[in-house]
Amino acid sequence: MDCTQVREHLKDHRRGALPTELAEALEAHLAGCDACRHEDAADRELSLALEARLPKRQAPGHLRRSIEEQVRESTRPPARATRAFTAATVAAVVAIAAAVLLLARREPDAMVAEALNDHLRVLYSTHPVDVEGADVHRVKPWFEGKVDFAPVVAFGGDDDYPLKGGAVAYFIDRKAAAYVYERRLHVVTLLVYRADGLPWSTAATVALGHVRAAVRTTRGFNVLYWRDGDLGYAMVSDLNLQELETLGAKIAGG
Amino acid sequence: MPTGTVVPNADAVETRLWYSERVSGRSAPSFPRSAVDHLDALYRVARRLTGSDEEAEDLVQETYTRALAGWSSFKADTNLRAWLFRILRNAHIDSYRRAQVSPVREDGGHDADATDASVGREPLRGDAELERLRSVVAADIDAALASLSVDARTLILLDLEGFSGEELAGILGCAVGAVKSRLSRARETLRERLRDYRD
Repeated sequence: MDCTQVREHLKDHRRGALPTELAEALEAHLAGCDACRHEDAADRELSLALEARLPKRQAPGHLRRSIEEQVRESTRPPARATRAFTAATVAAVVAIAAAVLLLARREPDAMVAEALNDHLRVLYSTHPVDVEGADVHRVKPWFEGKVDFAPVVAFGGDDDYPLKGGAVAYFIDRKAAAYVYERRLHVVTLLVYRADGLPWSTAATVALGHVRAAVRTTRGFNVLYWRDGDLGYAMVSDLNLQELETLGAKIAGG
Repeated sequence: MPTGTVVPNADAVETRLWYSERVSGRSAPSFPRSAVDHLDALYRVARRLTGSDEEAEDLVQETYTRALAGWSSFKADTNLRAWLFRILRNAHIDSYRRAQVSPVREDGGHDADATDASVGREPLRGDAELERLRSVVAADIDAALASLSVDARTLILLDLEGFSGEELAGILGCAVGAVKSRLSRARETLRERLRDYRD
């Protein structure tokens, strides 16, 4: 065991988290190494300083109240017409339908909001792409090792819809591969991410090649999103819907 | 974990921690109110990551918003606290990239400022460093932490919150072995910076 290995395990050793054999090897090294004994003592002092002298800040009250309210709202059960059919009123039936529709749409809408936020980050950033390139064969390999899937994008840009490059983005709780295209002066962000566990809407869909994509318009931006196998795709732009669908069809492929 | 054992790749860790199908694979029915129990810890880390009360509040708010939006992807057998911290870290990277203050390393590579504390350097004699460490105050530590890279600072702060090496690997999306060596270097660098502040 050399000094580098010893120092990586000092903290676990102090916590008693090392297997016996490893702990014994580490102690044998410490017995004969002044430098590592010093490191152990200094690292212990650092832990004491961090734990004892840094104030334990608490979240401000207004933040706590805001988040508690947000969580409470999200966990509030949807209104149910418990006696819907006892009165057999049309109003009750409408209420149930509305509640079901609201429940079905809520989670996909959160996904649309997240896609829009990612697009806005691209627009606001002075360096929207980490890898530049008008060739998808240059951009795609760049993502290797940066995201935990292989993004499948059939379209590498052309004169009408040039590909400007790519960047790693975050989509809710997972990494996403962001491709940035342009159409005249409009920026189009394509997000590709693992689709598992995310809600998918089947309402208001259009055909994009061999898939069907959901369509949303929010805050003046058009959003198309679809699922193809294990991957999810979301396209966001202020480009008109017809041209966005044209680009979407190229990306989805035949 | 035996010495030298390295989880093959970050994806394996991430998959095991976050998207495991090995138990029921069912999502929890609704967002747990117990998630608010982690608010103080999230704020504490956010405050030291951002260095500002307002930015920390925004970051924590963004974390819960994303967590609520992504709750359907949460699996019942995963670690809620670590999941929230992972979202916080992702949100912080996003805001950092937006601000374009300096590049954030996401590739598991070494931060420049986490490598300059070399193993072979001459140790302080006479326990001078230990004495310095015993005399540092919160302001010194805050300033030294703020001088580190985001990656190194994040590691130290999450470790301080008591996460295990495996949990840290899941939060940061890298292998356990890499986390240990990066954490070790980050702490060495922090000590170097603290010596600088007291010299």
